[in-house]
Amino acid sequence: MEQKKSVYSVSQVNNYIKNMFSSDYALNFIYVKGEISNCKYHSSGHIYFTLKDRQSAMAGVMFASARRGLAFKLQEGMQVVVLGSISVYERDGRYQLYAKEILQDGIGLLYQRFEALKADLLKKGYFDEAHKKPIPSYAKTIGIVTADTGAALQDIINIATRRNPYVQLVLYPAAVQGDGAKETIVSGIKALETYGVDTIIVGRGGGSIEDLWAFNEESVALAIYQCQVPVISAVGHETDVTIADYVADLRAPTPSAAAELAVFDVQRMEHQIQENSIRLLAAMQAQLDRYKSRIERYALLMQNLSPMAKLNDERQYLMQIEERMYLRMQDLYKERKHQLALYIEQLKAVSPLEKLDRGFGFVTDEDGRKISSVKDTVKGQQIQITLKDGRIDAKVIGKEETYGQK
Amino acid sequence: MAKSKTLESAFEDLESVISQMEDKNITLDDAFKKYSEGMKLIKYCNDALDKVEKKIVILNQEDK
Repeated sequence: MEQKKSVYSVSQVNNYIKNMFSSDYALNFIYVKGEISNCKYHSSGHIYFTLKDRQSAMAGVMFASARRGLAFKLQEGMQVVVLGSISVYERDGRYQLYAKEILQDGIGLLYQRFEALKADLLKKGYFDEAHKKPIPSYAKTIGIVTADTGAALQDIINIATRRNPYVQLVLYPAAVQGDGAKETIVSGIKALETYGVDTIIVGRGGGSIEDLWAFNEESVALAIYQCQVPVISAVGHETDVTIADYVADLRAPTPSAAAELAVFDVQRMEHQIQENSIRLLAAMQAQLDRYKSRIERYALLMQNLSPMAKLNDERQYLMQIEERMYLRMQDLYKERKHQLALYIEQLKAVSPLEKLDRGFGFVTDEDGRKISSVKDTVKGQQIQITLKDGRIDAKVIGKEETYGQK
Repeated sequence: MAKSKTLESAFEDLESVISQMEDKNITLDDAFKKYSEGMKLIKYCNDALDKVEKKIVILNQEDK
């Protein structure tokens, strides 16, 4: 037993190495960039691949459980950045890269920066709804920060002039990609704020993520955040969302849409003014009508209460009374006349003249004084006898008193 | 802000003028006042449209 050194089994060694790997901070969270080769999608959902560069290669695996970290189809020859850990597969004595997330290189790194800045600004409150300013509904002057050669500017001008040719557009020509882009965008926002506009549109047309990158820069985000004028972001297409979009007071999916949001439609506005004018007039008319009908009501009331009306009433009353009196008089007259007729009849019944009819005569002296008794006469006296149809002048030639009479 | 009333606030004022005028209890005197106020607002809105076609202004980067 000359050998002093210990002898270890293979598994002991592999286990030892594995422990070394797993206690290494760097290896547990590492970005590795390279080209994909030998990529195999296993039926279990795991993906096996080799990551290589010109000099070297390394085995990699992405387990099905980590598949959320892969947003595209992994293909041979792809340049990628793999986020994961490096550990030892003890059975084979091989180390390999256990991928948690795989990003396409370039884009992948930018994306990483994007996410980091987004998280940072979110924490700083740049995206807070409370900080967002309302976009004026009737902006008269609209600032635009974009390239003066781009389609975005043409789109904005077209939409703006169509909706409202009276709105003043102020362009700050900015480089929207490449070197110096973020600087000109920032100074554009500041220049327009100083110039005095109601709304600012910051944006550009579509492009690759690298093209749009200036709108993911912190300095641009800060300029938008600090701008006192409401800012509408309009970067690329609907699906492109940049940091500028999160910070802006309003995000428009495209430059055209930004123009729609910033510029009010003058025809609609005119229509609205017209409508208000009509409503105002109608309201005034309604009030006037209300008062007019009230006045009419009062006039009627007054008319009914006026002395003239009273006089008319009295006149009417008088006429009625007169009429009643007249009728009463007539009745009365008829009544009396009838009564008279009755009396006449009655009188007739007792009239002495009636008796004359029956052969009786009516005796008076020469002076018309009635002679009702023999005793009133003397022999030779002139008397008159009235008969029904005339008078007889006679002379008493004799007389004889009837006895038994008083 | 005294003179340069915004269109938004002009519209808001108009709405309130109209709703006050639609109130049945308003006096005729007030109705007339509101009406002339409303007509002024309408005129203001129309004037504010400033119907002059505008050419785009391009800021020089040196201007700042």
